[in-house]
Amino acid sequence: MSVLEMPGAGGPDVAEDSLARPRRAVDRVLAGNAWLVFAFLYLPIVVLIVYSFNDNQRVGIWTEASLRWYGEMFGNARVMDALRNSILVAIVSTAVATVLGTAAGLSMERYRYRGQRAFDGLLYLPVIIPDITMAVMLLLFFVQTFDLIFLATGIQFSRGLGTIMLAHVSFNISFVALVVRARLAGLDGALEEAAADLYANRWQAFRRVTLPLIAPGVAGGALLALTLSLDDVVIAEFVSGAGSTTLPVYVFGALRRGVTPLINAVSVLMLVGSILLVLMSLAVSRGRESSGG
Amino acid sequence: MSDVSVARSGPSGATAPEGAERAAAVALHGVTKRFPGAGKAAEPVTAVDAIDLEIADGEFFSLLGPSGCGKTTTLRMIAGFEYPTAGSIRIFGEEVGLEPPNKRPVNTVFQSYALFPHMTVADNIAFGLQMQGVDRAETTRRVAEVIDLVQLQGREARRPKQLSGGQQQRVALARALVNHPKVLLLDEPLGALDLKLRQTMQVELKQLQERVGITFVYVTHDQEEALTMSDRIAVMDGGRLLQVGTPQAIYDRPRTRFVADFIGDTNLLTGTVVDASTARLGDGSPIRIETDRAEGSTVTVAIRPEQLGLRDPDHPRDPALDAVHGRVERLTFLGNATLYDVVADNDPTLRIRVRQGNAPGIEHFTAGDAVRVRWMPSSASALDD
Amino acid sequence: MSTTVPPPDVQPDFDTSPPVHGAGLERDAEKAASRRGFLVGLPSYAYLVAFFATPLLIVVVYSFASRSVRGATVLTDWNLRSYGRLTDSLVLTIAWRSLWIATLTTLVCLLIAYPFAYYLSTRPARIRAVLLVLVMIPFWSNFLVRTYAWRMLLGGDGPFTRLLEAVGIDGVQLLFTPTGVMVGLVYGYLPFMILPLYAALERLDHSLVEAARDLYASGWQAFWKVTWPLSRPGVIAGSILVFIPSFGAYVTPEILGGRGSTMLGSYIARQFIGSASDWPFGSALSVAILVVMMIAATAYFRAGGKNL
Ligand SMILES: Nc1ncnc2c1ncn2[C@@H]1O[C@H](COP(=O)(O)OP(=O)(O)OP(=O)(O)O)[C@@H](O)[C@H]1O
Ligand SMILES: [Mg+2]
Repeated sequence: MSVLEMPGAGGPDVAEDSLARPRRAVDRVLAGNAWLVFAFLYLPIVVLIVYSFNDNQRVGIWTEASLRWYGEMFGNARVMDALRNSILVAIVSTAVATVLGTAAGLSMERYRYRGQRAFDGLLYLPVIIPDITMAVMLLLFFVQTFDLIFLATGIQFSRGLGTIMLAHVSFNISFVALVVRARLAGLDGALEEAAADLYANRWQAFRRVTLPLIAPGVAGGALLALTLSLDDVVIAEFVSGAGSTTLPVYVFGALRRGVTPLINAVSVLMLVGSILLVLMSLAVSRGRESSGG
Repeated sequence: MSDVSVARSGPSGATAPEGAERAAAVALHGVTKRFPGAGKAAEPVTAVDAIDLEIADGEFFSLLGPSGCGKTTTLRMIAGFEYPTAGSIRIFGEEVGLEPPNKRPVNTVFQSYALFPHMTVADNIAFGLQMQGVDRAETTRRVAEVIDLVQLQGREARRPKQLSGGQQQRVALARALVNHPKVLLLDEPLGALDLKLRQTMQVELKQLQERVGITFVYVTHDQEEALTMSDRIAVMDGGRLLQVGTPQAIYDRPRTRFVADFIGDTNLLTGTVVDASTARLGDGSPIRIETDRAEGSTVTVAIRPEQLGLRDPDHPRDPALDAVHGRVERLTFLGNATLYDVVADNDPTLRIRVRQGNAPGIEHFTAGDAVRVRWMPSSASALDD
Repeated sequence: MSTTVPPPDVQPDFDTSPPVHGAGLERDAEKAASRRGFLVGLPSYAYLVAFFATPLLIVVVYSFASRSVRGATVLTDWNLRSYGRLTDSLVLTIAWRSLWIATLTTLVCLLIAYPFAYYLSTRPARIRAVLLVLVMIPFWSNFLVRTYAWRMLLGGDGPFTRLLEAVGIDGVQLLFTPTGVMVGLVYGYLPFMILPLYAALERLDHSLVEAARDLYASGWQAFWKVTWPLSRPGVIAGSILVFIPSFGAYVTPEILGGRGSTMLGSYIARQFIGSASDWPFGSALSVAILVVMMIAATAYFRAGGKNL
């Protein structure tokens, strides 16, 4: 066992005191740094939550605790609309992206065919492309396509929730595929061969063996897609139209106009949503470990 | 679905051509497998090279050879996980070379067991029957039967992870046997077990095979395992079949240097052919050996160390035995026997290893002693290469 | 009878017959499998071609178009003018600022994250799992909200400023400065650095360090000669994962930056939103940033990185 794995546990190290002592000093510095990092990561979040219960009009000045801004938030039609839009977009785009991404992951990991490398590249690009570029691309695409459709048919489409959903699917496919692929790569190929050996046809082998075993990966990918969709502000801002504001777009727009305590409450709402999703994906990944592979 | 039951419906006779004698359980003819090489310009790898092989019904047949010789590839082609580049694969006379695995009347026991981790032991075993559409009552009955057979009673509800290696091995076996396959394919099924368990399982597996009477095709790189369990062995190297025969024939009459060397410990002596039944070793001593090689050509002779005996050279010679004179260079005590390394007097390149039992009454020597190494002419075999 | 048996097999002389398959007959089966795999992926690929590759192409096309006086895009006059403008002094200033902010952000993240990831990777497994979860929670939390939290903290009457005033430090203005933006970027992308570093260090076999110590290396030498080189892939992966989004940042400078801290991302956005829009120029900027990003990503994959 490594000395490093037993910080401060005097036992086996005592004999090597000369070696262990400087280690402990280093260890203490490392531990101090770790606490600072955690403080750095959490302090802003904690302050935000605390101040969302502040009664004062001005964001930074604490007067007394109240739920005033939460009340205003739930009474604010625009916030509630935006919330509903966000949830709708997230659910629809996640559902579509999960199916398509899982299929893409299977196709990449379990088969060999010509042109696969090109598709592999196409699948990776949306992951690494900056948001702003993706947003610009999709904006121009929808503008141009809708113009062409109007010229050809006289029907005028406009940007709205639909375009946001299409855009979100387009980056979420890749993230789901990444997660599913990783899961598939860790799956013993002999299991699928065993299913075929035991008279399962291809569909039965997929349904009875492959799918149950990659299910945690699929669920993990879906949760990631859900998070990314709820997180997105840049792309949604570009491809949304009037009346199709999502919650992050609303917050972003409001921030441009100035900080209000209402935003604190909305932020905490979004934070709670995110954290629920993290907890869910942790539960899923725990299931992932226990269901073997 | 229906194809499965059709393919599995008839007993072996149903698809065998009438009039012919009983078809071999597995017949390979000219079976070749080439894999595309790694990288673009790479040569294809010939994993299996034009193999001809017939395995009889009810046989315990082993494919034996060093790592990478193509055993697994051969087995996978019989199972249907890999399709042959050329050749014909027949199971009881029926050509299956290009059939998918689910349409072949064979089952596989995987080296890693490949038990479905999300199913219980009982569900794992029932899987094949369910896929074939066997009704529920029948499935339950057969699962119970095979669980008895492999002595896994009481473990039906467990997950594979909750079983020991040996128990997982039995589940894998039961999962295949429950389908009553015509041929059972096993790829190093005991490879993951420790030595002790492996030895017990060897005995169990052999007894099981005799009880169910199914043809076993057994892949192993462990020569001892192959020798103790098999009715016949095929020795492979570099994708080719070198020799097929009973364990005794393979051990006593290896045909090539590789087989002689790969199986057991052996002495290879080089001689010059005098006539069809005599050769002369490098030190000039004549030996009796059956060979069809031309006079004056070299012949390699293989003799197992335990076929050799040591004698004091002052003893009168036994004319029925061939012999070489030499000096003990080193001895290694093995307990039940002693290994002697002997260097021939007239030819220091000729080194012979002798394994002599330690029973009372047997003469013993120490390093430096002059000895006569002698053997029955029938225990020496001439190699093809 | 089953559909599976090709006719020649029913000949009675099966025991001695020559091979029935010609060389390469397995190819049909393999081709069928390939086709199946392609079909499984086809809907996803079609989607990505329609809603990702085509938009990408349109941006490239737009970057060669021109802008009319009234701000509309003219798709008949093709030229390289927008690319020519990439060397305007304003663009260069903004690009240079983006570059150094992104570089500094990456370095600061590395400096904080390396000892942290090292500490994490040397904890007992149980504690490690818990600490990792604590890193993941902010990582998965809404980015906009996390950036907003700093706006609050750093604001003129925010808690941070008040704290500084309380200890007697006056007039420190972080909000609306490049430093403020950098704080936000470090905060936003730190987990991107921690996780690959942790993955690399956790894989590292600590007996290697002990072997080095056994071979008379000092603690520092053991680190420098063993740990650091073996964790390099993690360093590279983390650096690129932080650098790419920082370089194209839009949200963070919008919220925490001021007039003097415009970065490329916000500059591009400005070409599409608002009255001063110029789509061809914005497209050219996007293409340029894409090229930089591709170079970085290629380096990432070269370094053996695969996933996030
Ligand atoms: N899918 C494949 N692609 C390319 N080459 C392969 C493939 N499968 C096997 N080979 C090659 O074919 C040869 C035979 O492999 P095979 O697995 O049959 O050997 P083996 O006798 O089972 O060896 P072992 O005892 O190590 O299991 C090897 O050289 C191997 O590298
Ligand atoms: Mg093998």
